[in-house]
Amino acid sequence: MGRHAAPASISPEPADDPIASARGLTKVYGTGATAVHALRGVDVDLGRGRLTAIMGPSGSGKSTLMHCMAGLDTPTSGTVEVDGRVISSMSQRQLTTLRRTRIGFVFQAYNLVPTLTAAENITLPLDIARTPVDRERFDTVINTLGLGDRLTHRPTELSGGQQQRVACARALVAKPSIVFADEPTGNLDSRAAGEVLGFLRRSVDDLGQSVVMVTHDPRSASYAHRVVFLADGALVGELHDPAEADILEALAALGEARERDAS
Amino acid sequence: MLRVSLREIRAHGVRFALSVLAVVLGVAFVAGTFILRAMLSDTFDSIVESSLQGDAYLRSISTTEEGLPDGPPDPSAGFGGARDGIDITLADELADVEGVAQALPDVQGPIVIVGADGTAVINGQAPSLALALHPDDPAVDLVAGEVPVGPNEIGLESSALETSGLALGDTTTVVLGGEVREVTVVAEGGYDSPTSGATLAFLDADVAADLFAPDGLVNSIAVYGEDGVSQTDLVDAMTETVLADHPDDNLEARTGDDVRAEASAAINEIIGFIGTFLLVFASIALFVGAFIITNTFAMSVRQRQREYALLRALGASPVQVFAVVLTQAFAVGLVGSAIGLISGVALVDLIRWILSRFGMNLTGDAPVTAFTAALCLGIGTLVSLVAAAVPARRAALTAPVEAMRDDVTVTEKSLRWRALAGAALLLIGVAATYVSVAVATDETPWWGLGPGPWLGIGAGAVLVGMLALSPVIARSTLGVLAAPFVAAIKPLGRLARGNVMRNPRRTASTAGALMIGMALVAACTVLAASARESTTAIVESEYRADFVVMSATNAVPAEAVTAIADLEDVARADAVATAPVQLSGPGLEPTSTTVIGVPPEAFGTTLEIETLSGDLATLADGEAAVHTSAALEYGWELGDRITLRTDVTELTLTVGVITNSQALNADVTIGQDQLTELLGPAPANVVMVAVDGVEGVSPDELGEQLDTILEPYVTVTALTEEELVNQIADRVNQALVIIYALLALSVVIAVLGIVNTLALSVIERTREIGLIRAVGLGRLQLSTTIVIESVLTAIFGTVVGVVVGVALAAAVRSVFADQGLSVLAVPWDQLAVIVALSAVVGVIAALWPAIRASRLPVLQAIAQE
Repeated sequence: MGRHAAPASISPEPADDPIASARGLTKVYGTGATAVHALRGVDVDLGRGRLTAIMGPSGSGKSTLMHCMAGLDTPTSGTVEVDGRVISSMSQRQLTTLRRTRIGFVFQAYNLVPTLTAAENITLPLDIARTPVDRERFDTVINTLGLGDRLTHRPTELSGGQQQRVACARALVAKPSIVFADEPTGNLDSRAAGEVLGFLRRSVDDLGQSVVMVTHDPRSASYAHRVVFLADGALVGELHDPAEADILEALAALGEARERDAS
Repeated sequence: MLRVSLREIRAHGVRFALSVLAVVLGVAFVAGTFILRAMLSDTFDSIVESSLQGDAYLRSISTTEEGLPDGPPDPSAGFGGARDGIDITLADELADVEGVAQALPDVQGPIVIVGADGTAVINGQAPSLALALHPDDPAVDLVAGEVPVGPNEIGLESSALETSGLALGDTTTVVLGGEVREVTVVAEGGYDSPTSGATLAFLDADVAADLFAPDGLVNSIAVYGEDGVSQTDLVDAMTETVLADHPDDNLEARTGDDVRAEASAAINEIIGFIGTFLLVFASIALFVGAFIITNTFAMSVRQRQREYALLRALGASPVQVFAVVLTQAFAVGLVGSAIGLISGVALVDLIRWILSRFGMNLTGDAPVTAFTAALCLGIGTLVSLVAAAVPARRAALTAPVEAMRDDVTVTEKSLRWRALAGAALLLIGVAATYVSVAVATDETPWWGLGPGPWLGIGAGAVLVGMLALSPVIARSTLGVLAAPFVAAIKPLGRLARGNVMRNPRRTASTAGALMIGMALVAACTVLAASARESTTAIVESEYRADFVVMSATNAVPAEAVTAIADLEDVARADAVATAPVQLSGPGLEPTSTTVIGVPPEAFGTTLEIETLSGDLATLADGEAAVHTSAALEYGWELGDRITLRTDVTELTLTVGVITNSQALNADVTIGQDQLTELLGPAPANVVMVAVDGVEGVSPDELGEQLDTILEPYVTVTALTEEELVNQIADRVNQALVIIYALLALSVVIAVLGIVNTLALSVIERTREIGLIRAVGLGRLQLSTTIVIESVLTAIFGTVVGVVVGVALAAAVRSVFADQGLSVLAVPWDQLAVIVALSAVVGVIAALWPAIRASRLPVLQAIAQE
């Protein structure tokens, strides 16, 4: 398997202060002969105030890793820590609270509640938690995302890119410790995708947010500070501040490695 | 394609199970109705069989063509029109006719039996009758003991004996022919068939004849032939002998089979009415069921739009897709109908059990005939097919390109046509209702239709119109109804409001089922309250007496009347009595009816009767009072001459006054003297005695005295005005119990409809639910949201239903204003309770879908396609 060492010019990840980290994370679906090992002992630290992309081929376990780290799924073994809390042993109730207070989500599609206006969708997690909306934060987020004139619209009245921006705003408005985005641009054309990714990057750079994004699109991943590669349920490499070409190269190497393994 | 249809049913088990349930409920109701009707008819037929066992009957020729007896069928009374009595001594002549084994006159009358616990043996509204028992009466099996002999022995029919708690040899009190009597129970007699609640006692034949046929006249004489003599031979023999000997007596001889057929036909006519009534409810149930089925299919078609689009993209024609959905509907309808049929049988068993708790034994067979089965399966399947046709069409017209789209956008069709059609229907309904009220007030039919049909058309059109309009008004109404929830429960109230308002069509049709049920409930509630209020108003305005003495058997014994009048502290005791007569007059052929006789002095003292024209004092001069409804129907005016005829005599009286009384609600009221004249030696049936105390006696004191002297008569009580009102109110409520039970069933179906729609909409919103769970909505919060949705839907249906129901009830009240519903009373408190209960209904309906939704795993929900 080709190790793609990071170029020397890039500073190493500050491992002493991660926003989220996993240790010995495994996830097995099913039992016995039919068991599928989605994660085989992953150790990873996700940097505070960074945009991290998780990449890998289909079935590499990238979505499982994100779900486990976001408290949507419980790992088979290993620990997950988010913002100093061990979440891998939390109850469903605690996880629900965690999701509504510490974690923001952006999904690939079907991201908004169709009966609520854009503004109502954005404040939904705060409303659920009965937390008053911080107007200043709200305005900052809205301005960053350029949604000012769309707030009273229903999701059906918005374009795909606008909907995804509203979803980003919802994820950001509660000042979560970390935002998880699952293929946030999967359903968008390249221009709208570029906008959304630009906003995610700016939320990190300007607002100090920590964002983790799962993607299979090298162009999307090139917006990240750091890209980690997964294959067959294990971490196989990473890149820092990569260009699109670097990522393509890394992916190609990964593919070759797999073919070699297979033969 | 068939495989696609059936695979889908298997894949979406829950969805289809709910549709099947809707069909099951509707069909069970229809099946139950038919079976119950067949069973009632069977029960009454067997009563006829056992109570009319004679081989031939002698009676007088009917004076009316096809008159039916008033009131509920009396198993042993004669059927087939009003007849004069015949001489009891004809029985002796008949007995001498060749081939006749026995000739037994039909002698019967009211009796009150005191049971072992000291209270009267009485069974709801069922009659309590004493019959003559001849030593060899073939109709009655002597189960134990001896045939009663003399005035102090009685026999009891088996079920009456059981209810009374008495045993052979016990002594008890009876009230017979107006007298209290100590008697010994000496016999237990039995019929082959149930007595449907009637309490039956047997008397010595001569004693019974003295009591119940003092004038020597009986309704009919049953003739039993010797072995081997056919019924027609008997009739021929009777015609040649007895009939020939009495050519002027208007006699006729009929075979037993003829008489039984006549009786059965008369009963079936009455049961037919009950059947019609039940069928109306059954069709409401089916209608509601069809609603639920339509809803279910509409939703499942929506959810599977992409599958259909895929089928279309793969080359399926619209007809094939249409067929897929219809095949599913057919399967759902057939399975649902079959289960419904079985449930219907169970339902009848349940009703039978409930009725048996009230002393009504329905032991008739409950056969599921091929016709019933075919009808139920046919109706259930057809309704399912029709209900699925519209969604199926939509599925068929799915554009293949839908399969390529990611998010299925379902464009809501405009509600404009629906609004227009609904508004038009509503207008027609309101207009027809208005016409019905106008027709009732003017008493002149319009376009040949009386108020009843107009009211029916109006009510139907208003209900259907409201159903059509409800999605149009759903948004605004729900907005108002949801306001408290939105304000109180943030942000769940707003989420729930969004969910019920996003598809007003669906919310409206979900609430539609409940709306119909609640409209009926509200209408019944208002009518019951109005009936009560009206009665109270009558009692308060028309009864001036300190006490009203009445009997649970509707007959105050003559002895008791005398005893009351003899009390020292009683100033007036006015007996209101009734007698059956043949009434004729200008424009009226002789008709059987009941006249009321009142002492003329009662007016202005114990009774205060409203008159429209004329003076009640004319009753003292032998004139008659005619009720306004009869006067209008027959066109009678003051001064017209009317004729009253009985077996004894015939009186022609002048109409001296026209009343609008509710207390004296017979067509004709006459003075006490005239009534006595008409009745001759037969006792009058005293229905009520109005009692006034002398001055200075307190009501409590008088009440105590009355209670003391009335005690031996067991069923006779003295009531104050207030007690009278309560008693009448109780009766109104009793009559409504069964209607409420049927309505409860329609509400149950409606609740299941809500469960159904909610469960489906949870399935539909799986991804959305996953999303809001992912952003932090707790399970309890999710459940709460669904409960609020359900409550909002239920309250919406109920509020609209109650409004419609109250409006219709007000119209019904106006139409029947002169038939006792003089006052409109809207019991707001009860209606508020109904609305509050509907909230509870909403919570109950939401439980299962809410639990189901909260158990959805978040990840899977998000990943759901």
